[in-house]
Amino acid sequence: MRLPGVDPNRPPPGPFRPDFWRSPLRGRWLTSVLGLILLIGIPIVAITGLISNVAYQPLLGANSIGTNLSPLDLYVFTWPTRPVWLYALTEGLHVTIGLALFPVLLAKLWSVFPRLFEWPPVRSPAHALERISLVLLVGSAMFEFLSGIFVTQFYYPFPFFFTSAHYFGAWVFIGAFGAHVALKFGTMRRGLRTRGDVMEAAGSGAALEPGPVSLTAVSPGPVTMSRRGLLGTVGAGSLLLLVQGAAGAIGGPFRFLSLFGPHTNPGSGPLDFPITETAAAAQITPASVGDAWRLEVVGKQTLRFSREQLLAMPQHTYDLPVACTEGWSTTQRWTGVRLRDLATLAGVHEAATVTSDSVQPAGYVVTLGSEQVADEQSLLALRVNGIDLSLDHGFPARVISPAVPGTHCTKWVSGMQFSPVPA
Amino acid sequence: MTRFRALYGAGPLNLLALLASFAIAGAAVVGWFQRPRDVVSVLVWFAAAIVLHDLVLLPLYSLLDRIAFGVAGKRLRGARRPDVSGLVNPTPYLRIPAILSGLLLAVFFPVIGGFGAQTELSASGIPESGYLARWLLATGVIFAASAIAYALAIARAGGPPATAGPPPGTAGPPPGTAGPPATPDPGPDQVLVDPRPAAPDQDQAAPSDGAAPTPTPD
Repeated sequence: MRLPGVDPNRPPPGPFRPDFWRSPLRGRWLTSVLGLILLIGIPIVAITGLISNVAYQPLLGANSIGTNLSPLDLYVFTWPTRPVWLYALTEGLHVTIGLALFPVLLAKLWSVFPRLFEWPPVRSPAHALERISLVLLVGSAMFEFLSGIFVTQFYYPFPFFFTSAHYFGAWVFIGAFGAHVALKFGTMRRGLRTRGDVMEAAGSGAALEPGPVSLTAVSPGPVTMSRRGLLGTVGAGSLLLLVQGAAGAIGGPFRFLSLFGPHTNPGSGPLDFPITETAAAAQITPASVGDAWRLEVVGKQTLRFSREQLLAMPQHTYDLPVACTEGWSTTQRWTGVRLRDLATLAGVHEAATVTSDSVQPAGYVVTLGSEQVADEQSLLALRVNGIDLSLDHGFPARVISPAVPGTHCTKWVSGMQFSPVPA
Repeated sequence: MTRFRALYGAGPLNLLALLASFAIAGAAVVGWFQRPRDVVSVLVWFAAAIVLHDLVLLPLYSLLDRIAFGVAGKRLRGARRPDVSGLVNPTPYLRIPAILSGLLLAVFFPVIGGFGAQTELSASGIPESGYLARWLLATGVIFAASAIAYALAIARAGGPPATAGPPPGTAGPPPGTAGPPATPDPGPDQVLVDPRPAAPDQDQAAPSDGAAPTPTPD
């Protein structure tokens, strides 16, 4: 295949000429090693990301990120309540492994960068399609990694709705990544065996069609770093970011290592654990959570409870994590009324979902499934670590439920509606 | 089959894999249209992500590396006295911590620079002013660790004389291939510490004729 006006033997000057690329580090072996690491790591990030979408239980109430379900949504299972740290684990892995892979991704893109300028730009229809697919791959990879990294830092420089964009961008990425693996797996395997490109130069000249130019520099510059040194540097960078993610996800005594994650003032007592939204940010007014506050419980009948009435009911205490979608989590000791006891009082004895709302002016409507409602550890918490909830932690009452995303543990609850599940 | 290959340029599995990936991407785009207001900005950010990486970030850090360790590195070596420290190439001990510190900045610049300050302070009740100090502290620790490693390497080099010369298994491509490299191939087994003695011309651009540079004695 010939493009009009393109002489395959006369590339324009600059990066289109092979001798423009000087680094002696580039080569098949390096690219293959980095590719192998990504091949192992990216499925973990992708699968835990899709699991997070399942954990949000998008089939219930208004939980879904879209107005309609996409044909790509996978809901092969309902979200379980055990182990209680399940979401802390999957989301911690998603953010931590994602962070740790970012330097590997940058190194991998650097290692194949000369290919962006290969000449002729298109050799065949297959080559043209593959290059379009690579635009999708690189674009979606950077889009997913950057948007994810930004949002874990509460940085929203974009006008679109992050959750939806990150989710659909992930599908573009998964599709392009799958095709790339299918096309390049053999190349990677051969590359891993070259250990230095000596074999590459000698062995692979017998391709059917004119193959791509070698990644190895034809006129390399001086050696200022070994390939192993480069891999070691990438590994050190990955480790540094891994610690950042893992320290936030594990929390407890390791939280101080999470240099750039959310922190609270050290030593400020039983209420000293991270949150993502203050009462001020949620525009909670003192009047809305004062003595006049009532919890409205709707089932077969509608009941209203004051905080004193709730405290007079049977109280239960469990250690449960609040696992934030940003990847960090914190396990605390929560005390309150079981959701299933509230359902029974409202006359709902069968399996039911619960939709809770918040007193915050913007509202905060979230639905938990019947597994969550039936679980003995799902509480409307009134106290934490032996003392009353603070306003920032959701006073007068908040939902806490095992293994659900922290965003589904509604704070400043105003009402709960139990809806029987149609048999 | 041969005809397909000749026309398309690869086997049918190649075409199937690529078409499958385009179909999935298409379905995702359809998904985005559930939020029509988002479609344009998502496409803009998608394109910006490629441009930012391929045409800004990568050229920028390549250029910074060349400026820092091409010219300055050469100057550094040219000014060096032929003492024991001359046995250890200082470049990696500056370059690696710079890369690590830069990586932290690149990843965490939103909190370090306070770009999400309004959001984060009101959201989590934590003032962000501490994050810049944390990054500077981390940078200090990383460079200090590198300095210790450098000192240890010098101490090691100043002890029993190490065998000089490039390690085995780092030969360039065999004759008759794309052209001999100007310097030994940095094989995967080569250690970080440059075992060669100080050679002021080591960082000079490779001669255009592709011949290996001859180290000149100090």
